[in-house]
Amino acid sequence: MPKAFLIDTTRCTACRGCQVSCKEWKGFPAVPTKQRGTHQNPPDLTHYNFKLVRFSEYLEGDTVKWYFFPDQCRHCIDAPCKGASSIDGSIIQDAATGAILYTEKTVKEDFETIRSACPYDIPRKDPKTKRIVKCNMCIDRVQANKLPMCVKTCALGAMNFGDRDVMLKLAAERLVAVQKDFPAAQLCDMESVSTIYLVADTPSKYHKFAVADASGAPGMTRKEMLAGLLAPLRKTTKQLQ
Amino acid sequence: MTSPSTQPGSPSLRAIETALARAATEVPALAPLLAAFGPLFAARAELRASAPGWSGPAPALDAERFTQGVFVLAQMEHGQGFQDMSAHLAQAAQTLLPVMVQSFPAVAQELNILSEAIASGALPLEDLAAAGFGETVQVPGVGAETLAFAASELVRPFVERQAQDLLALVKDLPWRQALCPVCGNAPDMSVLRRTSDSSEFIQAHGGQRFLRCSCCASEWAYKRVSCPTCGCEDPDGLMVLRAPIRLFERADACTRCNTFILCLDTGEMVDIPDLDVAALTMLPLELQAKAQGYAPLARHPWGDL
Repeated sequence: MPKAFLIDTTRCTACRGCQVSCKEWKGFPAVPTKQRGTHQNPPDLTHYNFKLVRFSEYLEGDTVKWYFFPDQCRHCIDAPCKGASSIDGSIIQDAATGAILYTEKTVKEDFETIRSACPYDIPRKDPKTKRIVKCNMCIDRVQANKLPMCVKTCALGAMNFGDRDVMLKLAAERLVAVQKDFPAAQLCDMESVSTIYLVADTPSKYHKFAVADASGAPGMTRKEMLAGLLAPLRKTTKQLQ
Repeated sequence: MTSPSTQPGSPSLRAIETALARAATEVPALAPLLAAFGPLFAARAELRASAPGWSGPAPALDAERFTQGVFVLAQMEHGQGFQDMSAHLAQAAQTLLPVMVQSFPAVAQELNILSEAIASGALPLEDLAAAGFGETVQVPGVGAETLAFAASELVRPFVERQAQDLLALVKDLPWRQALCPVCGNAPDMSVLRRTSDSSEFIQAHGGQRFLRCSCCASEWAYKRVSCPTCGCEDPDGLMVLRAPIRLFERADACTRCNTFILCLDTGEMVDIPDLDVAALTMLPLELQAKAQGYAPLARHPWGDL
């Protein structure tokens, strides 16, 4: 049964419990950082930060509005990164859950090709192991029938996880409820991803790459398409090398 | 203040099969037991899905009496229990008894005799139903324990289906008792479930405690730190037995009254298993609790193995 996340940003208080627990479960060390005048810390996803609560703030009249976005891999149903890979078995999709998993074979992949194929700018490279890394849906926990750490940790009900059909139903119910107060609320790319975000406002206000085509970079979807088209050629080339 | 749960006590067949497969993988030593009871659970679930619910007008309930602890069936005229399901038992026997013959070869001969007695009319269906509710009925060639076990399994799908309808009538009423709000029987299982609400406040991770009726599988919320038998809330009197490798399975025991109830902590689970399968998988824990001198609130069919 395919699984899915529903991340209800209207319930998120940016406590960053999900971000910390993700690091904790995976045994990642702290990363050097510095105060940059924002609560978003570290500044971006890293090879030791597969989950990051992004902060954005806007002044509307006299009111400062905060937007919180717990960013992570979307585990796309038809993953562009997988399509862009040139090494068999480097990026795989778990049949039981739908999780997109990066294996040790990613050391042989061209990182920029994989990263640029992702419409959400998720993949990062571990400089020590040379592997390309990202959220793996806590596949070790899910296979043991345990919730991903970020979901287990969330105290506000922002993070939800379960069978995809159940999450879609919950998403639809929450959307109706949220739209009463926030008419612009929407579900981001829900048909093509397994990490579905419910946002109360225009997605680009939350994060440049909140949705696949809201980045303001017109080439993004074209890049994604080209990555898929060129994948067979790259695979053949790699095999000949 | 707690209210009876309307969460169905009858998960789908798929949930049962998934739970059985997972349990057999995780606890290989229980595979023979799971293979014996699993088909029975599955067949029962199918029967329950097609069984008639409570028929006719809904019983008139006094909400105040219910709140004071008078369960639904106790408010019926003349102490009427569940509606008569004997008309359905012949077909139920045709479905369930062959499964039980396959699963329990040691009593297969007795079950075959019982099957013939039902088919020939030698055992009236009304008597079979009565045996299912614990009355003493005799069938030549069939032991009393075998008859009681088989009869209770035959009536159970119909009881559970009716209970679903009755529980829905009181879902918004408070119920603080440790006995079933529908039929008044004792629980044989408990479960901690994550609950979510629409409030904007922090939600507890521990989950709410639900007791599950040993007779009709109804679930109702109950105080988390409290012995369902004697009401003990002294932390020193309550203890939890569990194995380090399966921390989500526990036996909640009370040192004051020396009873225990199994508890499945689903707070961290992706898929919540069928509770019959879960209880069966917790047999080692049940045996451990008994070995330490604790008695169950209600017995499972496999509890004396």
